[in-house]
Amino acid sequence: MKVPYKWLKEIAGIDAPVAEAAHRLTMAGLEVEAIEPCGDDHVLEVNVTPNRPDCLSVIGIARELSAIYKTSLNLPPHDVLAHTGALDFNVDILDYDLCHRYAGRIIRGIKIGPSPAWMQQRLEQCGIRPINNIVDITNYVLLEFGHPLHAFDMKKVKGHRIRVATAGCAYPGAEVKITTLDSAERAVPADTLLILDAEDPIGIAGIMGGLHSEVDDTTEDIFIESAYFAPSSIRRSSRALGLKTEASYRFERGSDIKMLKKALDRAAYLVKEIVGGELYGKIDMYPKKFVQTSIDVRYEKVNRVLGINISKEEMTSCLNGLGFEIKTKKDLFNVKVPAFRNDVKRDYDVIEEVARMYGYDNIPAVLPKATIGMETGSEAGSALSGIAGAVRASLLKTGFTEAINLSFMSEADLDMLDIPADNSRRRVVNIKNPLRSEEACMRTMILPSLIRNLKHNLAYGSRDLKIFESAKVFIGNGQDSLPSEEHAICALYYREKAKTLYPETANDFFVIKGIAESILSDLGAAGISFVRSTEPFLHPGQSADIFAGKGKVGYIGALSPVVFDRLGIKSAKPSIIIMEFFIEKLKSAGFNQPRYRQLPKFPAIDRDVAIVLDSSFAASDLNSIISGFGSELIEGISIFDVYQGSNIPEGKKSLAFSIRYRASDRTLTEEEIEGLHSRLVAHLSEKTGGQVRK
Amino acid sequence: MSADLSNTFHDELQSLKDLSGLVQLRVKYLGKKGILTAELKSLSSLPAEERKAAGKRVNDLKNLIESELDAKEASLKAEALKAQLLSESIDISLPGKSAGFGRQHPLSRVMSEIADIFVKMGFSIEEGPEVELDKYNFELLNIPKDHPARDMQDTFYVSDEIVLRTHTSPVQVRVMQRQKPPLRFIAPGRVYRCDADITHSPMFHQIEGLMIDRDITFSNLKAVLRTFVHQMFGADTAVRFRPSFFPFTEPSAEIDIGCFLCKQAGCRVCKSTGWLEVLGAGMVNPAVLENVGYDPDEYSGFAFGMGIERIAMLKYAIDDIRLFFDNDARFLRQF
Ligand SMILES: [Zn+2]
Repeated sequence: MKVPYKWLKEIAGIDAPVAEAAHRLTMAGLEVEAIEPCGDDHVLEVNVTPNRPDCLSVIGIARELSAIYKTSLNLPPHDVLAHTGALDFNVDILDYDLCHRYAGRIIRGIKIGPSPAWMQQRLEQCGIRPINNIVDITNYVLLEFGHPLHAFDMKKVKGHRIRVATAGCAYPGAEVKITTLDSAERAVPADTLLILDAEDPIGIAGIMGGLHSEVDDTTEDIFIESAYFAPSSIRRSSRALGLKTEASYRFERGSDIKMLKKALDRAAYLVKEIVGGELYGKIDMYPKKFVQTSIDVRYEKVNRVLGINISKEEMTSCLNGLGFEIKTKKDLFNVKVPAFRNDVKRDYDVIEEVARMYGYDNIPAVLPKATIGMETGSEAGSALSGIAGAVRASLLKTGFTEAINLSFMSEADLDMLDIPADNSRRRVVNIKNPLRSEEACMRTMILPSLIRNLKHNLAYGSRDLKIFESAKVFIGNGQDSLPSEEHAICALYYREKAKTLYPETANDFFVIKGIAESILSDLGAAGISFVRSTEPFLHPGQSADIFAGKGKVGYIGALSPVVFDRLGIKSAKPSIIIMEFFIEKLKSAGFNQPRYRQLPKFPAIDRDVAIVLDSSFAASDLNSIISGFGSELIEGISIFDVYQGSNIPEGKKSLAFSIRYRASDRTLTEEEIEGLHSRLVAHLSEKTGGQVRK
Repeated sequence: MSADLSNTFHDELQSLKDLSGLVQLRVKYLGKKGILTAELKSLSSLPAEERKAAGKRVNDLKNLIESELDAKEASLKAEALKAQLLSESIDISLPGKSAGFGRQHPLSRVMSEIADIFVKMGFSIEEGPEVELDKYNFELLNIPKDHPARDMQDTFYVSDEIVLRTHTSPVQVRVMQRQKPPLRFIAPGRVYRCDADITHSPMFHQIEGLMIDRDITFSNLKAVLRTFVHQMFGADTAVRFRPSFFPFTEPSAEIDIGCFLCKQAGCRVCKSTGWLEVLGAGMVNPAVLENVGYDPDEYSGFAFGMGIERIAMLKYAIDDIRLFFDNDARFLRQF
C-alpha cells in the first residue's frame, strides 16, 4: 500500500521525520519497504500483511502511528445534513449470510467534471488514475477509510430498486452474464453475489460495478453504495472470475462493518463540498449485526508466553490507541475488539499486540531449558544422513558432483527412455497448473533431469561429466491418494575419448561397477548380485540390475544406443554409464554385522589357471563352481585376464585366474597342493565345459 | 721400502674410478699373491732382531691399506647409488593424476551447515511428503480454504485436496500428530510455488524448525535464533526481530540480519535498508496446537523457517536463482 506521508501526519497528529516514523512502523509490524521522495512529500510503500486489512487505509496506518507516538487520531470531517423527505428507493438483501449490511445515499443534481488538483495528486501518489469528481471521491474515501464505495448513475438503476442476491438465486439454473466497468463480458458463477436493479444485474458485489450503470459525463443523480460483504464469498468469486480489484482485495480480507457508515458520510461530505448537489437521507439495511469479540487475558500468561515481567499497567498501556476497550480486573484484563480488528480473536492475539507495542527488541533473549527426550527423528532421517547420506558421500568421494534439479518432468521424457506403459514409472502425478508443459508432472525418475544437465554442459564444450542427484521420485496412487515418494540416487558418467596424460584403460562399465561394488560393500549390504538388466533405456549387453537378496536395489549400465541417438549429441561414441540406487529398497536389504575372524597363521600358495570357454560364460559362476568343489583349503580366486583374439577360437574366450590355497592349521606341502590343484582343474574344466590352456 | 709402497698404494687409490678397480687393487695388495702377502712371507728371511720391527711395519701398512680400501669402497658405493637415483628422477612439476573428488551442490552445503548448527543445539531431523494433502499444508496450519493468507503462497495443485507442499510447515503437523511433547526438530526439504523469475524458482528449499515443551517463551525463540544467526553469519552480526504475520504462529516475527555486503551502510541487495530478511518465526499458534490435540495451556512452543536459496544467494553473492538448477559444471565446481 502506497501512502503519502503528509496525509498520514494530518490524521495521526504527529510531526516526526519520515525516516523515523517509517522505522517505528516497521518495528511495530507494518514493514515500510521504501520511502519515495515526491515533490515536497514522501510516499511510503507499506507492506500490509493479510491479517491487517484495517491498515489498507490512511486512517488505519495513522492509527498505528498515533498509538506508537501516543497522539490522538484526527478523523477527517464526515458530518452531513440531509433532506429527510421520502426516498422512493428500495433495497432488498436476499442473502443475509453474504451481505451483512447494505447502506447508501442518494445525491441529486450533481455535475460531473474533474476533481480538484489536490485530490488528483493524492490519488496519483497512491497509484490510482483520476477519472471524474464522483469516481475520484469514492476512490479517495477508499484510500482514506479503507472501505470500498461504489457510485451508480441513478437513472440507470431501473425500478428505483436494488437487490442483493447470488446469481443462482436471482436466475435459478440460468447462465448469468454481466459486462463490467472494464468492458469485459463475464459469465458469473451461481454462488457469486450480484447487485441487481429491478430487472438486471448492475454490478458484481464487492468486486466491480457494471458498465451500464456507470457514472458518465451526463450523470445528474447518483446512488453511493457502502456495504459489508462476507470475505470468503468475495474471495471465492474473485478467484472464480479471475478478477482482482482494490475493492475485492479489501472485502476478502474483511472490511469494517461499523466504519462503512462513516465512509459513506465522508463521501457525501466531499460530494457536497466539491461537487454540490442535494443530499438525501440514508438507506441502511443491517440484517446481520456485528458481534463484538470479548477476550479475557491473564496478566500472568502475557508475561509467561513472552518471557518478560512487566506490570499490569505497562501491559494495558501498550494497547492504548489501537482501538481496544480495556477493563482491568484482578488477575486479568478484558479486551473488547473493534470491528476493524477481525484478526484479534483470542488471548494470543492480544499478547502479540502487547509484544509489538512493547517492542520485540525489548524482549530479552534467554536460551530455553530443554527437556531431554529421545531425539529420534524420522526413520528417513535426512537426505544427508543414513544410507542415502552414505551413498551420497561415497559418490562425492569417487568424483561425482552433486546436481539439484526441479522435481518436474513430462511424459515425453519417459517416451525418450522407452519406458513401457505398464512400468510403474508411467504412474505419473500430474500438476493441474504447471508453469511449462515440460514440467507438467512430478518426476518418476531422476535420469531425464541428468540427461538435460548433460546436454547443457556439452553445449558449452564439456568433454566429461560425472554428476548425481539424490531426490524423491513420485509414483502415483490414483487421483485421490498421495503418491508413493521414493528416495533415489541416480548418477550419470559421461566421457569422450580424449588425449590425456594418464589414460584410463578399463572399460567404463567396470569403472562404475567398481564404484557400485565399493559403495555396497561400504554399506555392508548382504547378498549382492548383478544380473543382466531389463531396463529399456540401457544397452542390453552392457548393463546389470543390482539385487540384494531378492530385491532389486538399483542398476548400472551403458545408455542404450537407441536412446543415445535421440539425444542429438554430436560426439562420436562417448561412453555414458548410468547408475541408480533405490534407497528404500536398499534400506530393507540385509546388512552384514562385522565379526572378527582369526588372521591366518600359515602361508598361502598361489596357482594360476587359464581356461578357454564359451564367450557367454559368466565369470562370476566360477565362484559357485569352486565352492561346489568343496575344499576348505581354497581361500579364494582372483581373475587377472580375459582375452579374445588370435589363438582363441571364434565364440570363445580365455579366462585366467589365480587360486589361493591355505590351511588354517599347517603349512601345505607341495605334494598336497599338486594333487588338490589338478583335481580342481579337472573339476573346473568339467563344470565349465572349457579347456585348460597349457 | 714400505714408505714407497705406501706412496704407490695411495697414488693408485687416488686414481681409482670404480668398484671393479677397487676389487683389483684389493687383490693386488691383499690377495693371496698380493704384495703385502709377499712382504709378510719375506719377513722370515730377515734376522731375528729385525723381524719383529719389520713385521709390525708390514702389519701396520696392511691395516692402513685395508681400512683405506674399505673407506674408498663405501664412498664409491654411495656415489654409484647417488648416480643411479639421479638417473631415476622424474619431472615432479607434472600435474598429479586427479583423485577427482566431486563437489557438493551449494544448496546442500548451506543446508548441512544450517542443520549442523541446530543438531548441535539438540534438534533432530524430520522429513515429510513433498506432495501433500491440503489439510496438512494449509487447513491444520490455520489457513482455511478461501483465506487471503493463501495468496502468500502460489500453489501447485494435483487435485482439489492434494497440493505440492508450499512450505515445510506441514512436517510440524505430521510430527505433532505422531508424537507428544517435548519436541525439538528441524525439517529440511524441497517446497514448491508456481512462480518463476530471477529470485523465484518453482521449486526451492526450506528448513523448518519446531520446539515444543512446557514454558517455552518468545524470549527463548529470540535466543535460539540469535544463536543460530551468530553461528551461521558470525558472532558480530546484528540481528533484529520485528512483528510479522504467519497464520500458524502468534506472535509472529521476521528476523533481519545486518547486511554483511555493505556493513549496513545500505546497498542494492538490502534495498538501502542495511538489513536482510533471513528467517520467519513465531510462537506456535494455539489453534495449531489444538488441531493436533495438544493443550495450549499446558504446552507452548516456537516455530521458524528459512529459505535456503536466499541464504545461499546472499552468502555466495549469486544473483540468479536459476543457476542453482542449471547444474552447469562450471558453476558447481566453484563451491
Ligand atoms: Zn546492504
